[in-house]
Amino acid sequence: MKRSMRHKFFIGLFCTLLSLPAIGQEDELKDLPGFVDFGDLSSLYGEPKIIINLGGTMLNFVGMMSSSESPETADLISKLKGIRVMMYDTEENSDVAKNQFAKVKSTLKSSGWEPIVQVNEDDEQVMIYMKMDGDNMEGLTVMVVDDEEAVFVNVIGQLNPEELGKVMETLDVDMDLDLD
Amino acid sequence: MNKYDESWEQQINALLDGELDKADADELKTAATDDRELARAIVEAYQLQQLMDEIPVEWAPASLGKCLRAIPREQRSSSRIKLLQPRWVTAFAAVPLVIIAVSMMQTDTPSDAEIVKAKQELAIAFAYLDKAGAVTGRRIESTVSNTMVDAVTGSVNKAIKLQNENSKEKEV
Repeated sequence: MKRSMRHKFFIGLFCTLLSLPAIGQEDELKDLPGFVDFGDLSSLYGEPKIIINLGGTMLNFVGMMSSSESPETADLISKLKGIRVMMYDTEENSDVAKNQFAKVKSTLKSSGWEPIVQVNEDDEQVMIYMKMDGDNMEGLTVMVVDDEEAVFVNVIGQLNPEELGKVMETLDVDMDLDLD
Repeated sequence: MNKYDESWEQQINALLDGELDKADADELKTAATDDRELARAIVEAYQLQQLMDEIPVEWAPASLGKCLRAIPREQRSSSRIKLLQPRWVTAFAAVPLVIIAVSMMQTDTPSDAEIVKAKQELAIAFAYLDKAGAVTGRRIESTVSNTMVDAVTGSVNKAIKLQNENSKEKEV
C-alpha cells in the first residue's frame, strides 16, 4: 500500500515537473480579468501593421529603467499588468472591422465591462470600455475604426488617464498617428 | 592482605609482567612476608598466569578469516545496491528535471535593446490611448457646443420673432 502510494507520488511529481515549462510559456496575459480577445482580422486585412504585447515582466523592466528619469512614469507603469495593441490597415473597407467591433462590444457588455465613451459617426467609430472591480480598475479597452485603420488597445491593470499626458512627455517618442 | 587495594594489585601485575623494579619488588616481598593474604594473592595471580600461558592458541580457519575480511566490502556494496533501488533512481532522475523546470521558469533578463523597444511600444500604446481620448473629447465638445449653439440661437430667434409679431400687432 505504502509502495503504491509512493509510486503515485512520484508519477504525480513527474507529471507536474513535465508540465511546468509549458505553464511557464503560456501567455501570462490571457488569464487576467482585464484581458480582451479582439479576434483575428488578418484573414481580410492581412497581418496587423502594429502588434504590441507587453506583459508584466517586461513592463517591470521598463518601469525600473524609467524610475531614475521619471518616478511618475515608473509609478504608472508599476500599476500595469499588460498592454496590447493591434492595428490593421482597413484600406477603405472598414465594414468587417465594424462588425468585429460589434462582436467585441457584446462580449465586453456580457463580461462586466462598462462603456465610458462611444462615438458612432458614419466615417469613424470610437469605443472606450472600462472594467472595474470595486474601486480598482482591472482593464481599459479602446477601439477605433475608420476608413484607414482599425485600432484595438487593451490595457490590463490600473491606468489613470490624467497621468497619461505627463507620462507621454517623459517617454518622448516621436510618432505620427492618424487617428484624427 | 587486610589493606589490600588497587595499588597492591597493580604491583602484583607489574611483578608478573616483569615490569616492577627491584626496590618495589623487595618492598612487595617484605609486605607479603608480614601479610599472608597479600602473599596468597601473589601466589594465586602467578598460578592464574601459568594457567593462561598453558591454554593452546587455536587459529581461526582461513574461510572464516576470508568471511570476516569480506564484511566491510559487503557493507559497501549493499549501500550501493540501496542507491540503485527504484525509489532512489526516481529521486535522482527527478533532480535534473527539477533543475530544467526551474531554469525554464526563471525569467530571462531582457537586453537593454529589448527594454528600449518595449519602452517605445509602450509609448505607442499610450499615444493611441491619448489620441483616442482626444478624438472622443473633441467629438463630445463639438456635440455639446452644437447643442448649446442650437439652444441659444433657437431661443434668440424665437425672441426676435415674438418681438416682431408684437411690433406688427402694435402697428395694426
